[in-house]
Amino acid sequence: MQFDAEKEIGKVLSGLRAAQREIGKTFYRWRQVALEYAGDGVEPLDVGLRAAEVFGKDVGKQLLPRLNWLKGEAAFLLNLGRALANLWQVDGGVATAEKGEKPTEVFIECTRDPWPTWAKEFDVPMQEVALTREKMLKSVLEDVSVFFNIPLDIEVEKAIPRGEGMWRIRLFKKEE
Amino acid sequence: MAKQLFEWDYSSYPGASTYPHLFKPIRIGNLIVPNRIKYAATEDNLNGRDGFVTDAGVAYMRERAKGVVGGLCFMQGVYMDEKRQGQGYVGQAACWDDKFVPGLKRIADAIHEEKAVAGFQLMDCGRVGAVDVEYGHGPSAVPQRLRIFRPVKEMSKDEIKEMIQQHVDAARRGIEAGFDIMEISGIVGYLVSNFISRYTNRRTDEYGGDIRGRMRAVVEIIQGVKAVCGSDVPLGIRLCAEELLDDVRGNTPDESMETYKIAEEAGVDYISVTLGWQESIYPVISRDIPMGNWIHLAKRAKEHVKVPVQMAYRLFRPDLPNKAIGAGELDQWEMCRSMIADPLMPKKVLEGKEDEIRHCVACNLCLARLFRDAPMTCYINPVCAHETNPEFADPQPAEDKKEIMIVGAGPAGLECAYMAAKRGHEVHVYDKRDNIGGTLNEARKAPYGDDELWTCVAYQQKMCELAGVTFHLGTEVTEDLISDELPDAVVLATGPEYPEFPGGPHANVVNLLDVMRENAQVGEKVVIWGNRKPGIGCALYLAKQGKKVTLVGREKTAGFDVNPSFKWRYMIYLRQNGVKAYNDCEIETITGEGIIIRTFDGYRIPVACDTIVNSDRAANEALKKVVQSEGIELFVIGDALVPRNLSSAVHDGYRIGMRI
Ligand SMILES: Cc1cc2nc3c(=O)[nH]c(=O)nc-3n(C[C@H](O)[C@H](O)[C@H](O)COP(=O)(O)O)c2cc1C
Repeated sequence: MQFDAEKEIGKVLSGLRAAQREIGKTFYRWRQVALEYAGDGVEPLDVGLRAAEVFGKDVGKQLLPRLNWLKGEAAFLLNLGRALANLWQVDGGVATAEKGEKPTEVFIECTRDPWPTWAKEFDVPMQEVALTREKMLKSVLEDVSVFFNIPLDIEVEKAIPRGEGMWRIRLFKKEE
Repeated sequence: MAKQLFEWDYSSYPGASTYPHLFKPIRIGNLIVPNRIKYAATEDNLNGRDGFVTDAGVAYMRERAKGVVGGLCFMQGVYMDEKRQGQGYVGQAACWDDKFVPGLKRIADAIHEEKAVAGFQLMDCGRVGAVDVEYGHGPSAVPQRLRIFRPVKEMSKDEIKEMIQQHVDAARRGIEAGFDIMEISGIVGYLVSNFISRYTNRRTDEYGGDIRGRMRAVVEIIQGVKAVCGSDVPLGIRLCAEELLDDVRGNTPDESMETYKIAEEAGVDYISVTLGWQESIYPVISRDIPMGNWIHLAKRAKEHVKVPVQMAYRLFRPDLPNKAIGAGELDQWEMCRSMIADPLMPKKVLEGKEDEIRHCVACNLCLARLFRDAPMTCYINPVCAHETNPEFADPQPAEDKKEIMIVGAGPAGLECAYMAAKRGHEVHVYDKRDNIGGTLNEARKAPYGDDELWTCVAYQQKMCELAGVTFHLGTEVTEDLISDELPDAVVLATGPEYPEFPGGPHANVVNLLDVMRENAQVGEKVVIWGNRKPGIGCALYLAKQGKKVTLVGREKTAGFDVNPSFKWRYMIYLRQNGVKAYNDCEIETITGEGIIIRTFDGYRIPVACDTIVNSDRAANEALKKVVQSEGIELFVIGDALVPRNLSSAVHDGYRIGMRI
């Protein structure tokens, strides 16, 4: 039987893209349900932030078995940065992590982010997209910081939903 | 004044001269123990969910007490808090109230009836406890890396004091129950080790900080327990010589040795050397770790403390501890899994019957069962946890003596053969091969310790010899042979069939057994069809020869038939050896270049290869109809019934052998 590589790869890729689109849609559909149940007195942003916290905490737990201290602090931070960049990558974005000038910092850059596009479809304000991403990343760090006994934080320097063309996030060890 | 509880004279036993260092006395505190053997505390999940001791638990312990021939026999670690945060196993024995004392006394009495020294162990499972409640407890609330464990709440100072008192109270109850020696368990990530490790103890009060601070709670436990033990009941502690937690910034080996010295200063009478945590990423006790691998840690311990040093950890052969004790590197030989597999293991060593030992194969099924809230089971010992059931523990002579034909001299057939023969049947074992062992002859060639599986066949061979089984090797059983012999019963233990390869017959397809026998031409790029254990074993065997191997199979995960406590090792080895696995797949077709895989949801992937190894197995229907048509009683066991693993073969064989 003939194997048409182009056809097979095309099939796999379109399956992947369809699944990625569903990620954003599913999230915003649930956001709608949550807002309906929350009633009038609730700020949509608060609901979004709480969801981001829950997502982030769970992602943080998922990372614990995948990270380690075997190659020291700088390698640990870079691996963590890559894991955070990968959160965009699996959703269909383009992101990387690079060492910063200081050994205690890593920069994550995302040049293509599908979330603002998905958010627009559901009339979600861009400010919420920016703030929820930040909240999610910070929440990922909570358990990771305690588990590895290293105080970690992020700083958002640029954000696509703020119209700055790319995400640039500084992941760093807080001074004790 | 030092005292000895029971008199033992080993001088007339062959084992005492072969292994002189194992059968000489030792003083622990004020107790003289006549030999160097210890059955180490072993959780078995045989107690009631309320923590009360059961008949099954007592019978299990009695067998092990017989085995230590006068040495130390420890019951499993008990949990000590009514809130059950310290409980790590659903069937763990409890000791948080005096009401548990009568049950515990039954165990102490059973051990004493076998003239052994009864050991009691205090074990708060800490971070890996709270099996039946919402939160665990620990020095600090460090999140869990493995989701199966409960979240941990940080203990307040009052709670620490309460926990220390619980140890003291439980020790008093153990002594009231009649136990002779006391032990604090600080192994594998339980509460004591949580306090000691910098990984899990982040406290800034007097119970945290440097290694002395992190040892403070342990020292207070030792001092409190020591006070109730007095001078008559020696006290020991099990402590990590190496945590193997460098990936999460655990203690250094030097800090661990410091804990030994601090424990000794605090008054312990011996130290049991342990290593690794349940959370460690390194294997410690599985079959891929060579026996005796860790003895150097006992030696290191002896360089740091003066009290006797005990150690287990893959010391499955008596020569290893005998040599180490002789060289002054160890004082006492601990065993856990060897005596799960064969409770009488050290007794057989003493009696010079080493070839009658059923050896542990270090598969860790025992642990996998405990982690899944099931009673203990042993892969290789069908009687384990059935000691209270006479049908298993003491199979009676058959009322109706039969002539039995067993077809197949693999582990299933051999197990059935000796058991049936022991019960008085006339047993004939046939095999078309010239040797015994069936497909284990090939399976033992897989790397990472699988040769050790052969100990099972060696044991069965000896048992068959003792029971008077007749062998007909190199003899294929045919329809004619069955009609000529007309036995009363036939047991088909023929092993599996290898069904035709799904892509149809093909020049490049070879059989797994031929590959393992080196009877097949295998190229450099190999696909193995079948992602169960035989396929994995063969994949690793070929990858070790430098071949590029791809594993393809129908199961959702590779090695689904391997127990989870060992499977993770295989997954790592497959990765390390560059074996790519495609699970939940079919082979759609064979092409000129290799094969095309079809995933369960229709995606197709081409894999280049020059050889395809078929490891797929099916039940073996051969001879079934012939036996039935002759009206002969028929049993089918092992892979011939349903292809599974060595354990199923042994358990099937034993059960049919004891019932036929
Ligand atoms: C099924 C099982 C249960 C165990 N339960 C305990 C226990 O209750 N307390 C303890 O200190 N160690 C426990 N251990 C650890 C053993 O006592 C022993 O240190 C370890 O298995 C290594 O020895 P081995 O290679 O002889 O099995 C357990 C081990 C196993 C396999």
